[in-house]
Amino acid sequence: MRLFFREQLALILFYFLQLVVITGIYWLDGYRHLSISLYAAFLSTCLLIGYLFFRYITNRSFYQRMEKQLTSMEDFTSNVQQSPLAEGLQQLLKSQFRHYKTDLHNYKYKLEGHIQFINQWVHQMKTPLSVIHLIVQDEDDSRFIAIGDELDRLKKGLDMVLYTARLDTFERDFYVETLNLQTVARSVTSSQKRIFIRKRVFPVLEIDGGLQVASDEKWLSFAMTQLMTNALRYTVEENRKIYFHGYKCGINTVLEIRDEGVGIPQSDLPRVFDPYFTGENGRNFQESTGMGLHLTKQICEKLGHRIEIESTINQGTTVRIIF
Amino acid sequence: MFKIFIIEDDKQLVNLLKEHLHKFGYDTKSVEKFDAVRGEFEKFEPHLVLLDVNLPKYDGYYWCRQIRSVSTCPILFISAREGKMDQVMALENGADDYITKPFDYEIVTAKINSHLRRAYGTYASANNERTTSVEGLILDVERLRLTLNEQEIDLSHTEAKILDELMKKVERVVSRDRLLEKIWDDQAFVDDNTLNVYVTRVRKKLAALSIEDALQTIRGQGYRLVPNWRHM
Repeated sequence: MRLFFREQLALILFYFLQLVVITGIYWLDGYRHLSISLYAAFLSTCLLIGYLFFRYITNRSFYQRMEKQLTSMEDFTSNVQQSPLAEGLQQLLKSQFRHYKTDLHNYKYKLEGHIQFINQWVHQMKTPLSVIHLIVQDEDDSRFIAIGDELDRLKKGLDMVLYTARLDTFERDFYVETLNLQTVARSVTSSQKRIFIRKRVFPVLEIDGGLQVASDEKWLSFAMTQLMTNALRYTVEENRKIYFHGYKCGINTVLEIRDEGVGIPQSDLPRVFDPYFTGENGRNFQESTGMGLHLTKQICEKLGHRIEIESTINQGTTVRIIF
Repeated sequence: MFKIFIIEDDKQLVNLLKEHLHKFGYDTKSVEKFDAVRGEFEKFEPHLVLLDVNLPKYDGYYWCRQIRSVSTCPILFISAREGKMDQVMALENGADDYITKPFDYEIVTAKINSHLRRAYGTYASANNERTTSVEGLILDVERLRLTLNEQEIDLSHTEAKILDELMKKVERVVSRDRLLEKIWDDQAFVDDNTLNVYVTRVRKKLAALSIEDALQTIRGQGYRLVPNWRHM
């Protein structure tokens, strides 16, 4: 309604100006019948009001829509009134939207292609990794052990790429089931046993065998592996432990991963979940990409778990996943 | 002798698998033409098939269905794809099990053994019983038994694993790291002391067979088994 009046204001002013001019000319010419003049003005105004009313009715939905905010992209294509202006605008919007959509579609297609490529590439790289893995497996020579260690790093890097690429299509790629927390923690620690042994840091599992959580095994294992590798990386002294503590807290099940490492400075703590944030520890230790914790947090959010971190310098870091 | 058919396009991987399976007494054959897998399968008549998912021309699922239409032999997929959906796909196409790359030799042999046993009865395992022997000392890893001069003692699973590793590399040093790695999966909790405890137990078991000082500690490196019982 307001938009309609603002739009028609010029017409209304122009009309009254014209009325004054014409009445004025007749007045000056000597025709001085006030009542007739007023009557003519009244009739003419009635016609104007009639016209405005008609305009408003025919374009009502158009004006109403112009005043309303769009809530979604497809909103404007809904019911439209038959008036040339409304129809013209509709056509314009439609064609604009079509171009926009084609562009968007192209990008989507490109992105999907890219993700597919990454997926395929990572999987292809796993065959040469398997071959190297098999070759070095039965060797106990320091050179082969070094190759094995590098192989572990390669594997982890590939997994990181794969999971980052997949995160965008998460909805298509997860499968929630009831998992035994102890079994998952055990298989995660077992998969990294080489690093544990190499660093002379050992895991302690304090998880009740009956503790179960609803989650996706693959994503949860990946997130736990990230937390565990961090704990291992920042534990510099030998013969330390990494504690996996599972317990019930009210209705929630909590998994706590605690290390006795170097800890994280208070100033860095609020930002550790930011992408590419490496902080002071990242500068002092190699191999920090700043993506591990960021990915972990995102995965936890998508799985509907909460994640908390606390740390004391030189005493260690505790990360909690709350299911 | 059991025959195993390997359908995998990476030659190196095929060679390593073949070499490993030969040690366990299996007869193996790999695919030569990837457009005639079914023909080669029918000619070879294997007892078990190892199948990769990504193959030239047709994928593994296709060949799995093809083989299923003529045979009920166990089919194990070997694939880099570790997703739940991929595994479900494989099983729905008629596979019996799924191994993800990269894998350990031990997992492949364990799965092959268990599927052969299931498909062809218990006599299957009798063929390739795993025993290691050094100078008359015989270790049976499956039955957890150690024998010397008709004297027999039982071992725990972890003790058997440690001995197996030491006997395979007899007179060579086996690092602590490697032994820790071997016993890791059996234990709820592993650390340096765990290994010390088990090595002591293994020494006691050896002493029960009147073998003394054969298991030597090499400071800073690991352990070595010296077959000093041969003169007895």
